[in-house]
Amino acid sequence: MMANPIVHALVYLIGLMTFAGLNAAYLVWCERKGAARIQRRTGPCEVGWAGLLQPLADGLKLMTKQLLVPDGVDAALFRLAPVLAMLPGMVALAVIPFGAHLQALDMELSALFIFAFASLAMLCVLLGGWASGNKFAIISSARAVSQNLAYEIPMLLTLITIALISGSLNLREIALDQQGGLFQWNLFRLEGWHILTMWIAFIIFFICSIAETNRAPFDLAEAESELVAGYMTEYSSMGYGLFMMAEYINIVVGACLTTILFLGGWGCPFDVAPGWWWFGLKMYALIFTIIWVRWTYPRTQIYRLLNLSWKVMIPFSLINLLITAGLVKFL
Amino acid sequence: MSGYWRDIFVGAKSLVVGLSITGREFFRPVVTEHYPYETPTLPARFRGHIELIANEESGEPNCVVCGLCQRACPSGCIALSGEKAPSGKGRVLTSYMLDFTTCSLCGSCVESCKFNALRFSREYNRVAFDKSAFQLDLIARLKEQNQCKP
Amino acid sequence: MQALTCNVATPTLFSAEGLVGLIFLLTILMVVGGALIAVLSKWLVRSVAGLALCFTGVAGLYYFLLSPFLAMMQMLIYVGAVSILIAFAIMMVTQAGSDTRHQRKVSALAGPIGISVAMLFFAGFTILALATPWQQFPQEQEGSTRDLGIALLGPHVLIFELISIVLLMAIIGALVHAQRGRNRGTGA
Repeated sequence: MMANPIVHALVYLIGLMTFAGLNAAYLVWCERKGAARIQRRTGPCEVGWAGLLQPLADGLKLMTKQLLVPDGVDAALFRLAPVLAMLPGMVALAVIPFGAHLQALDMELSALFIFAFASLAMLCVLLGGWASGNKFAIISSARAVSQNLAYEIPMLLTLITIALISGSLNLREIALDQQGGLFQWNLFRLEGWHILTMWIAFIIFFICSIAETNRAPFDLAEAESELVAGYMTEYSSMGYGLFMMAEYINIVVGACLTTILFLGGWGCPFDVAPGWWWFGLKMYALIFTIIWVRWTYPRTQIYRLLNLSWKVMIPFSLINLLITAGLVKFL
Repeated sequence: MSGYWRDIFVGAKSLVVGLSITGREFFRPVVTEHYPYETPTLPARFRGHIELIANEESGEPNCVVCGLCQRACPSGCIALSGEKAPSGKGRVLTSYMLDFTTCSLCGSCVESCKFNALRFSREYNRVAFDKSAFQLDLIARLKEQNQCKP
Repeated sequence: MQALTCNVATPTLFSAEGLVGLIFLLTILMVVGGALIAVLSKWLVRSVAGLALCFTGVAGLYYFLLSPFLAMMQMLIYVGAVSILIAFAIMMVTQAGSDTRHQRKVSALAGPIGISVAMLFFAGFTILALATPWQQFPQEQEGSTRDLGIALLGPHVLIFELISIVLLMAIIGALVHAQRGRNRGTGA
């Protein structure tokens, strides 16, 4: 390990910033390419080979535009909200173990840490929407918050199930606990018969992570057809860009969490050569699934969305928690 | 309660069906054409703007300046004139102007032509910054086509 | 973590200890600044933002006090839930686009009484802080969450259960209110 903690912190800081920036930029490219393939188009192909420089062009375009602060907005909060929106995702990346020795900060409560900061994202959406003083933005932020509150509960309940199995809230220990092949993963855990119920937990967690990141089919907060762009309506230039980047970083964080909690982190299904490459493989497979889901389903309605959470997800995750507790206790 | 469970199972099944459809489409070939770089294969009955048909041997237009196309045009976008042929028999076309800005590509002119003198061109990407670029001189176009021919 | 050892030897800014100290100062600044914004701002939404900032700072202080679990809970519950509930309440009460300044009339006595009470509290806490013989407790970083869980479900289980009853009552109360509201809506 590096001797100087400041050098250590700086190296990880730069690394994570690059990781986040590249992911945010190239996931947009992946999203557009994926959408195009599903609709049997080619997608971006003009800027660079196969449109690979498209994110760069988009970024340049966004940065050279004027950051417009319209009359009647709360200027301070309006400027603050997109900056703060980036924070939870960036902070969460710091505690995610990408590999056995690839983690910026090993923290005892890292799983909880991510959720604690994720709740900040909600506040940013709320402040951004309110500061805009636009009715679309306010409707959208109210929707976003009620949706995020509703989906945080089943997500945390599922997290508790995992904590029960692993006996820890440390993401690194949760991942270490799942090393040694496919049937050690929480999703397919034979030991203690967790394979029976964990797939429900996995589906719940995956759906919740899509809902928490405000992605289609749960993108009611930025429902283009009804709310223009929701809480981002009044934002231009990099204000909008930061919100978009935050969305993609949150997707990365959600996929990382799902990988660690259910798919064994950096472990290999056949127990050969575990390492960060397996982590990346699983994470990007999940991200691809999220993109796939987005371009498959139409947007739901707000009350259906809330019903799904309160009437289906929460009861199921509670029952799942109960069963898991029983399995842990008696087996 | 049965409705609750049915909703969940039917819903879940429909989600899987949806995913399988898009998943299948993902691996199928692209159907769009890469516009400026690829030339589309135009259907046989494609309607571009009209153009004159030349006589096989002489290369002169088949038109006899009967004016039927001009009269058939609902938008009045055809203006043609002719003069007596030097041989003294029939008339020859001196100008055939098409105002493509008002043409609706209805094809009445082509239908009305009894002398096999008009047809649809196969040009599909005529763009310009100026309206005047759409005042087409069809005789000039025919001459160009004749020059291109070996 | 090492902030407590800061006073032993004055560290330079670019050492780990110095940075931690700087972050500690920032946290205190967040608490005080957030509280000031919450109290002084003319706009209710800004007050909520200030409150959230203050809560975040308090979470940071908990972290410096070696109780990360409490810090996380502070973030999750106060920043994530309480602030948002307050913001929601403001949204429900005030109309979108309308002036959200404080509109209230206060008695002339409110200021003097408030200041004197605050001075009293400040004086009391200062005397208490100066009079108390402070002692260093052993750091219990290891297994603090575990200890907390055992304490909650062991000696303090009655309080824990009472809290759940309070929550149950709150849920039932909310349901009753919602039900009544709906009946009135359809009946009228």
